[in-house]
Amino acid sequence: MSAVSVVIPVKDGERFLDELLSALAREGPDEVLVIDSASRDASREIARAHGAEILEIDPREFSHGRTRNLGAEHTGGELICFLTQDATPCPGWLTAYREAFALGERVGAAYGPHLARPETSPMIARELSEFFASFSPGGTPVLQREGDETFLSNVNACYARACWQEIRFRDVAYAEDQAFGQDMLAAGWSKVYAPGAAVLHAHDYPPAEFMRRYFDEYRGLRETSGHVEPFDLAGSGAQVRRAVAADRAWMLERGIGGAELARWTARSTVHHAGRKVFSALGSRAERLPAPVQAGLSLEGRGAAPNGDGAGGAPEGASPVPPPRHVPKMLGGEVYDVVARVREQGPAPLLPAAPGAAERERLRLAMVIPPFSRGSGGHNTLFQIFTRLEQRGHACSVWLADLHGYAKDVWPAVLRSEIREYFAPFEGPVYKDLSQWQGADVAIATGWQTAHATLALDGCHARAYVVNDHEPEFYAASVEHVLSADTYRHGMHCIAASPWLSELLVERYGTSSEPFQLGVDHEAYRPRPVQRRRDTVIYYARHSTPRRAVPVGLMALAELKRRRPDLRVVLFGAGERLHASFDYEHIGVLSPEQLSWLYSEATVGLCLSLTNFSLMPKEMLACGLPCVELAGVSAESIFGEDGPLALAPLEPARIADAIEHLLDDEEQWRRRSERGIEFVASHTWEQATDEVEAGLRHALRERERVPAVG
Amino acid sequence: MSEMETPQRTEQSGLEAENAQLRSRVRELETELVEVQARTNAAVAQWQERAYWLDRWHLDLNALMRRRGASEFRGLLRAARSVVWAAKRARRRLRGQ
Repeated sequence: MSAVSVVIPVKDGERFLDELLSALAREGPDEVLVIDSASRDASREIARAHGAEILEIDPREFSHGRTRNLGAEHTGGELICFLTQDATPCPGWLTAYREAFALGERVGAAYGPHLARPETSPMIARELSEFFASFSPGGTPVLQREGDETFLSNVNACYARACWQEIRFRDVAYAEDQAFGQDMLAAGWSKVYAPGAAVLHAHDYPPAEFMRRYFDEYRGLRETSGHVEPFDLAGSGAQVRRAVAADRAWMLERGIGGAELARWTARSTVHHAGRKVFSALGSRAERLPAPVQAGLSLEGRGAAPNGDGAGGAPEGASPVPPPRHVPKMLGGEVYDVVARVREQGPAPLLPAAPGAAERERLRLAMVIPPFSRGSGGHNTLFQIFTRLEQRGHACSVWLADLHGYAKDVWPAVLRSEIREYFAPFEGPVYKDLSQWQGADVAIATGWQTAHATLALDGCHARAYVVNDHEPEFYAASVEHVLSADTYRHGMHCIAASPWLSELLVERYGTSSEPFQLGVDHEAYRPRPVQRRRDTVIYYARHSTPRRAVPVGLMALAELKRRRPDLRVVLFGAGERLHASFDYEHIGVLSPEQLSWLYSEATVGLCLSLTNFSLMPKEMLACGLPCVELAGVSAESIFGEDGPLALAPLEPARIADAIEHLLDDEEQWRRRSERGIEFVASHTWEQATDEVEAGLRHALRERERVPAVG
Repeated sequence: MSEMETPQRTEQSGLEAENAQLRSRVRELETELVEVQARTNAAVAQWQERAYWLDRWHLDLNALMRRRGASEFRGLLRAARSVVWAAKRARRRLRGQ
């Protein structure tokens, strides 16, 4: 049988100590330790008379967590019971604890109910009995594990020494038991509510003292668990009314009536209202000045322990403010799946199915990152994926939401947004990759989806539709490293330009083929509107750094200096940018509105520091010549002297290129006509053909090289 | 020599035939799987279409009905409905309809 030690912290506890120690003697623990914080009454003599060991400490050294750790260190039992000085064990207390620890292998703690003493007020008596009854409606011991109730109370609790040694009480002024309850369950221990391990105990203070005690308790709870007690007049008033009604019902059941009922009703109202107010104040104590905190606290403590509040931290105490416990909020870390893939490699692919690449219909599953309205990359993906679906492939969409950006958007809403923002996709949209059903080809899209896609099993092949070279979106960072890593796991890349495709092959040695971004010619076509000769429009999406907006603005400022009458229109961003010249701001437009703007303007300006976007093609489709950056990606599509006018990343040179188009009508006409002609063949159908060929290539590669990712 | 080759060739052509048969069966099964997946996709998409407002308002009716008092509330509504229906029936009867 396990040896049992009992630890009782005491300060001026003579009122119940004799009764408590007598009851303990009946229960028969192996060791009783009383930790006395300079009692001024007969506590020490009583303890001595009962043969308890006494450990005297300086009251300034007392804290609920620290002192109990000290008690556990000074005792040797395999089970360590903690009682407060006014908690008297009822018969069978120790037996119930011993039985509780036999309920499971990893039982680290047990706690029993607090029964009201006969003189306890009805409010407290009712609350205690209802509170503890809620843990075990059947009255039998209940095992509690992670995810269950974390409540634990050192008024009456028992710990396995092994568990205490692993977890230990936090050095907190209050609520060390609650913190222990959370910590032990999180560490995989379980605890037991043992109805048989009861003690007589009740904190029946006068009303004012009660409130101050609640102030202390909720301040402690805030410090250990971060709990902030909600408070609003209507809601709190209703809570108080319900509590008073419950007290009255409880009293009536026990035959309390007449004047006594009226008196207790009044006390109950004061008690519950005061409790609500003081608990709300306690959990917001850090906002109160230290002297106010000291005045509201029953302990007279002015601020958090070890702080510099008027409550008095011990002299020479650390100036470090008390740490605040932050409870677990996520099921895992953001990049867990990335780490798993990097450590263990991709999930194995299914054996190659002969002839799968040539099969008319394929099972395609596209994994996408979260999106918002106007996302160009997602528009590209859904223009193509919807067309693949229309060609008869069985298509589904899966959201990989590493950061939880879309955690409050449920799947049906996600699907509806896809249809509203991008294209009429008919298939299902899933948020939970654990519902994964396998696919002929699993398609990664943004870098945030690549590792999640690599972790999916049940696929014949994987492919990666790459819209841009995403490592260039980030400065030195984890995201920079991880996005570069996505190209190194053998997924066949289908890249949104020859420039991008070549870059992936050269820099990462991956297999890759390009596709051309399509243009929606229904929307983007010359509109019947008078073309102006004085208007430059600029895609000034400042929130996207790769758009080189500061340089674009400098170029336009230079141009305005040369031609003060020039009309400059900025679009593509909601916010108005601060510039050194006057301009017109037109915000974010729909494709229809954009095509009218492009049909009216003289020159378009759109700069891309990485892969070019759809915007220049859409401008060209409306007959609008456009200036883009030279030496990046545009040449791979349009050639060096094609429909686009190219300029290096220098404000004056960009201004020159725009000015040539404004001045040279012949050049303007030539580029306008060549632009319309050039993009005529760039359709989403063509882009879909190319992506479909890429997906089939991934399947073919899989047949050829069985080990390919 | 040719006498030995003949049974080997027969065996090989038998294996090839079996192989071709198995490949054909795999193709059939793969085609069937695409059909099943397409039907499953359509069914799930249809349910997502119907569940739009539930998802929009974060309503999980199963969880809601598991809450305390939900069944009683539903019972109350059904009782109220039956009273309304009984009243309507009585009114129709009184009007001789």
